Amino acid sequence: MTTRPHQASKRRYFGLKIARICSQTFFLGLFLFLFIKTDYTGYDTIEYAVNILFRIDPLLALCTMLAGKVIIALMAPALIILLISLIFGRGFCGWFCPVGTMLDAAHHLLGRRKMGNKPTRFPHLALIILLFIVVSSLLNFPVVGYLDPFSILVRAFSQSLYPAFNSLAVSFFSFTYESAPPAVNLVTEPLYSFLKQSVLPFEQKHYDLALLSFMMFAALFLLEFVQRRFFCRNICPLGALIGLVSRLSFLRVNGGDTDCGKCRHCSQICRMGAIDDDRNIGMGSCSLCMDCLEQCPRQIIGFKRSFLTPENNEISLSRRKFIGTLAAGAMVPPILNVRNTNYHERANLIRPPGAREEHDFLYRCVRCAECIQVCIGNALQPTFLQSGIEGIFTPRLVARTGYCEFNCTLCGQVCPTGAIKELTLEQKHRTKIGHAWFDKNVCLPYAKGIPCIVCEEHCPTPDKAIRFRLADVYDDQDRKVRVKQPYVVDSLCIGCGICETKCPVPGRSAIYITSAGEERDRDSFLPVSGEQGGGSEIY
Amino acid sequence: MENKTLNRRKFLQQVSLFSVGLTLVVPRFSISKAFASSPPVSRLVVVKGSNYGQITREAVATLGGMNQFVRSGDSVVIKPNIGWDRSVEQGANTHPLVVKALVEMVLEAGGSRVLVFDHTCNEKRRCYRNSGMEEVLGAMGRAVKLEHIDDRKFIPVDIEKGISLTRWDIYKEALLADCYINVPAAKHHGLSRLTLGLKNNMGVIGGNRGRLHHDLGQKLADLATVVKPQLTVVDATRMLMKNGPQGGRIKDVRKADTVVASADPVAADAYATTLFGLRPEEISSTVAAHKMGLGEMNLDRISVKERIL
Repeated sequence: MTTRPHQASKRRYFGLKIARICSQTFFLGLFLFLFIKTDYTGYDTIEYAVNILFRIDPLLALCTMLAGKVIIALMAPALIILLISLIFGRGFCGWFCPVGTMLDAAHHLLGRRKMGNKPTRFPHLALIILLFIVVSSLLNFPVVGYLDPFSILVRAFSQSLYPAFNSLAVSFFSFTYESAPPAVNLVTEPLYSFLKQSVLPFEQKHYDLALLSFMMFAALFLLEFVQRRFFCRNICPLGALIGLVSRLSFLRVNGGDTDCGKCRHCSQICRMGAIDDDRNIGMGSCSLCMDCLEQCPRQIIGFKRSFLTPENNEISLSRRKFIGTLAAGAMVPPILNVRNTNYHERANLIRPPGAREEHDFLYRCVRCAECIQVCIGNALQPTFLQSGIEGIFTPRLVARTGYCEFNCTLCGQVCPTGAIKELTLEQKHRTKIGHAWFDKNVCLPYAKGIPCIVCEEHCPTPDKAIRFRLADVYDDQDRKVRVKQPYVVDSLCIGCGICETKCPVPGRSAIYITSAGEERDRDSFLPVSGEQGGGSEIY
Repeated sequence: MENKTLNRRKFLQQVSLFSVGLTLVVPRFSISKAFASSPPVSRLVVVKGSNYGQITREAVATLGGMNQFVRSGDSVVIKPNIGWDRSVEQGANTHPLVVKALVEMVLEAGGSRVLVFDHTCNEKRRCYRNSGMEEVLGAMGRAVKLEHIDDRKFIPVDIEKGISLTRWDIYKEALLADCYINVPAAKHHGLSRLTLGLKNNMGVIGGNRGRLHHDLGQKLADLATVVKPQLTVVDATRMLMKNGPQGGRIKDVRKADTVVASADPVAADAYATTLFGLRPEEISSTVAAHKMGLGEMNLDRISVKERIL
């Protein structure tokens, strides 16, 4: 008699499971679409809200606001996720999160369907990480971007996977173009141009931390061998935060009871380790994947409703762990303050135009790589240790690789936290991010009497910041020659770096950018002579 | 090895073979006497008027019409200056209407395919977009293609006659076209004083182009022994007088409403120089190219026809 209702509810839960998979696929697709659209498309403004993934992230919102001690209006959408979590719990992790989706897909691709049954390996770790990040953010040690799943995801895509994908495509289509018979090219060339117009990036880009970005992402997948959704259960601070809210969630999954026998199939298959031996389902972990509901042999598991009342089967930190983590989070920032942050190390740290003052910038920057991805000149590179251990993956201009395009304002448009302010074109044209200096021992008109001034040719300020004067110098044969020697007009140079990019001297450029005189730093300045007035007494 | 016999056809064969990987020998370009000599008197046309399409058409028509340069079925490359992320009014790039008129004339003369490109200095897409070129050429049908530089198409070429530049990567399309039309924008330039036709040829080469600056006049002349436009149309509709070659200030732009056309690339540059109040001898690339027999720079020996519309 009981088979009929069983089948009906099984079918219903199967339908919900399919809906969950569709939702995951849809949001993964949306993520990929927005990622590819994080680019110049012929207009000076970005058409889509390509940074939305980071603006709905409540962990990033919480930590950047705590660190900066400000309300960041840009991140208001994060509230929506918290509200949704109050209703649907960690459905976010099961139905939306593209990282979770990829891990699920990888699990199936790995053919390891039978595992996932283990209890969560380090049940307290994610909470400890969350607490540490929150406390250290409050005390001005901004590291939330290192472990936020979306930051890890987009960094890996932007700085390694996507450029690597392009590199593969270019190698393949270069090979066919150069070596395959014309008949093959009749197929490959149209295919290549189609791919270029649809999914491939416009140019091949190169990044400093390609391998590190990739390895952090790859680690999430390797951990799948330990247990299903290892990252989500044991590490993810965003999941942990949403989990805290989810304890109060309205919609709950009601686990088995004493009547249900001892099959424990549900706790065996739960990918989140949300079901304990007594078949209680912890809403702080459950991602509403629907597996147990669908597979329960007796169809006992169902939904129930609750109103802001947590159950006491949730994982929580012991008082000792709680206080220990608080202490650790509170100790690290003061110790880091003792470091000798010698100003000279900052000379090569050129931040994008519109970047806030360095501390404020670091508090807000969530290492999401959106600016790095959108930078059309491949000028922005992920920083390694130039800004301390709290500055890894933050963007900086490496002008020998690429320069800041004069009429482009895209990085400020995609920054989800306002770490880089959105500038109007007019503001951008006047924003000094650094300053160009000549190395006269290398610069050809100075060092060798060879005409050049490629820097002057490319200098983009309408009233050129690099000019030249005629000078008689001796060349390497000791002959006297008259050449045009370039010089920098301090008041006009904005530090875009095109001179350094285009300098034809092999290897190290004869003109280079430093952060000297950058506008965002009140202590930075360019020495001025008495004639120009203003703060000149000390010189 | 005696290379005098190596004619243009053979060179093109080498380019094709090299580019499909059938030979590893770098194509060699040496000009035979017949190919190098210019006609006894170089003909040049100057047309003024505010309708840029019309003056461009008139200039080519007065020169004998596009049929002089393009035969039915020809594949044609038009090489404007689209090097900078600047607007039309800022005068850093060739005016799109001048290019449009040339494309139309090529198609009317029976050209089967027109390829337009430039190896830009600023970001490629921004240049094509903001120069107005994308908008104008995008609507001209399938036979017309505005192409972003494709790195696979650069091939090394031995420049047999080169004095200062003896080998460089050159864009295959410019070498293989049946007709190559050079359409420079007349502008100020810090190092070479002006950038005209010979300098505009830098847009068909690859590599570390800044290196050409180290003996610019001679190197441009050397390059001109290989990259040889059948027709040069100098766009002096707006002349960037200062802060070139990319400008950016409207007050540095002089509206001159002029185009200059000639089959002789050196003559076109020589005459265009006078529009700036300079003498042809002051531009080193003109002098070097003339010396190499690539064209005429003496204004007395150039037959100039002027038209005002």
